[in-house]
Amino acid sequence: MTSLLSARGLTMHYPGSTSPALDSVDLDIVPGTSVAVMGASGSGKTTLLHCLAGILRPTTGSVMLQAGSGPVDVAAMDDAARARLRREELGFVFQQGLLLGELTALENVAVARMLAGVPRAQAEAEAQQWLAHLGLTGLEQRRLGELSGGQAQRVAIARAQVTGARLIFADEPTGALDSATSVEVLDLLLAAVATGRTLVVVTHDADVARRCGRTVVLRDGHVVSDTAAPAATAATGTETAR
Amino acid sequence: MSAPAVAAPRHAGAVATALHLAPLFARRRDSDRLATLLPVASFMVVTALLELVAGGAQAFFRWDDDLAATYQTLAVIALVLLLVPLGTVGASAARLAARRRDERLASLRLLGATTGTVTALTVLEAAATALVGALAGTVLYGATAPLLGLLHFRGEALGGQVWLPWGWLPLVVLGVTLLAAVSALAGLRAVVVTPLGVRTRQRAGTAHWVRALVAAGVLAVGLLAVQSLSLFGQMGGVVAIVGVLAGVFGAVLLAVDAIGPWVLRLRARRRARTARTVPRLLAARMTLEDPKAAWRQVSGVAMTSFVGVFGAVGLAMASYTDTADMPADERWLMHDISTGVLVTVAGSFLMVACSVGINQAATTLDRAAVHVSLDRLGVPRTVMAEATRRAVMSALWLVSGGSALCAVVLLLPLVGMAIFMQPVAVVTAAAVFAVGFGLVRGAAALSTRLVPGILARPERVL
Ligand SMILES: Nc1ncnc2c1ncn2[C@@H]1O[C@H](COP(=O)(O)OP(=O)(O)OP(=O)(O)O)[C@@H](O)[C@H]1O
Ligand SMILES: [Mg+2]
Repeated sequence: MTSLLSARGLTMHYPGSTSPALDSVDLDIVPGTSVAVMGASGSGKTTLLHCLAGILRPTTGSVMLQAGSGPVDVAAMDDAARARLRREELGFVFQQGLLLGELTALENVAVARMLAGVPRAQAEAEAQQWLAHLGLTGLEQRRLGELSGGQAQRVAIARAQVTGARLIFADEPTGALDSATSVEVLDLLLAAVATGRTLVVVTHDADVARRCGRTVVLRDGHVVSDTAAPAATAATGTETAR
Repeated sequence: MSAPAVAAPRHAGAVATALHLAPLFARRRDSDRLATLLPVASFMVVTALLELVAGGAQAFFRWDDDLAATYQTLAVIALVLLLVPLGTVGASAARLAARRRDERLASLRLLGATTGTVTALTVLEAAATALVGALAGTVLYGATAPLLGLLHFRGEALGGQVWLPWGWLPLVVLGVTLLAAVSALAGLRAVVVTPLGVRTRQRAGTAHWVRALVAAGVLAVGLLAVQSLSLFGQMGGVVAIVGVLAGVFGAVLLAVDAIGPWVLRLRARRRARTARTVPRLLAARMTLEDPKAAWRQVSGVAMTSFVGVFGAVGLAMASYTDTADMPADERWLMHDISTGVLVTVAGSFLMVACSVGINQAATTLDRAAVHVSLDRLGVPRTVMAEATRRAVMSALWLVSGGSALCAVVLLLPLVGMAIFMQPVAVVTAAAVFAVGFGLVRGAAALSTRLVPGILARPERVL
């Protein structure tokens, strides 16, 4: 199967630092799979994720993405084109802070569609469906500050999917949650994978990684291991805590 | 660095520790140059404006002929009118200076610094920032006062009269520094009480419809009072007329200020429901978040609009009266009042623009993490910029529109006449307002210049 995302020779040198945060990383990601990225703090996980997602432009290397319009090299695109790509084709769930505090849960999700030119009523209808799907019925009109961390993450997951993004990037999505809530959030992310989406998740949590189809481990900007997890726990996403 | 901070609960000890820590604190700020420069720049602007206003007002106190007292009274009125928005600028500057400090102080506190140390450090820092700003502001005053001197009164340029007596300048600098220190002290309590420094979002003020009733009542009484001015005139002469006018003036302004946030909230709520684009939706939601703050930011224009309408109408009436047989100096007075009104209106727009600029800069820095997040999601940078601009401008329209409307209601028959008799005066006033709006809009847009800098160093804010 052709890769959805294919990185070659990714190297990232932050200005002013002596050693590269990423050093010639090659990575292929197959559609419909979940990939966990692990490694010690400072090993380059977030940097890798940001390069793959077009948030950062790597110093050298290429990131070929099978976008809706055909293959593109994310690393070679200009800022505006990458922003557009992120907005229209990629979904993001980070530890915190990707949502707007003033807006309601519903509006936060609908905004993603409105930015694509969808009329507000339709955008809200779609957002409503996603929120319901993620178990947030009744909380649509809450402002973000009035939601728990787990609920806010569900809103972020809804936002990441409402645009139809096939590729979802998550950076420690469960990092700020207790273990029971973490399991719920991961269930929802893996449920998205079960419907054909692709997930790249940076995590410190071995339980999270164990449930992904594949685990990539980084050390000092290098990939030091790349292993497939047992298929049974990886694909279904229905397993509960330990 | 925490070691010396843990001890020393005594006050003197705290100050000593603070002095000890101050260089460390100052050095850390180098990386945060923008956040440091902005408060300095705002204190600079505040000081320069204060000195310009004071310099302009005291120029009239050098006169001692027959009409001097009249000019001086008017100068004091203008001074008061300008001090109100200037106070807003000062408050914004103080708030900006306090903002970024919170987090660093909170972490100091976590490291074990005593309340005394934290307090002393804050006050020191605020005072130092204000002092540098005030000194720079005095230089700015020196550079801009000649422009003020170009204004003509009685057919002559004010010229060198606008220079404050030199002895006043150190007093102004000292005053600004002290005020900054005191306001830092006052604003500090929340941080000291909660060592984690989590700014708990204040619940939006619940302005009530009862206020609207009261305000309508005030306006009605005011209208009645203005209509029966001649009655007051017969009873108590000019003093009574001026007194009643001033009372009505103040009461209506207070009423406008009382219902403003409430109306703003109602309108924002409706707009949030009906907004079709993301910037509009965001603008409405930002206003709803804290309607009082949104109002306060631009409320300095309320008085301006009021004065603008009163001034324009008064001048129109005055110029209609036959001036041919007036003594020359009284004719000058009429002319000079119109200059004064325009200068006051322009000045208060300038101040509102400054306060908006400072506030928006502070908000942008405050919300740096949001800007970074939105950028990561691929949201175009223009979205947030447009949302902020819309939020400011819609409050500005409401403030100036609302208070101008009140003034027009009070002076209804006269306004109609003025438009017919003196279209030029009315057009001039309208032009000044248009320029003022443009100025505020520009100030609101200025803060978006900070965004590229924030996005270039996202690791600082996340
Ligand atoms: N903006 C930056 N400027 C300079 N160096 C950076 C920047 N961001 C990250 N680094 C450095 O690059 C390296 C990799 O950082 P990265 O954030 O990718 O690590 P990480 O694996 O995500 O760590 P963590 O688990 O703590 O989130 C680290 O050494 C870090 O200090
Ligand atoms: Mg990381």
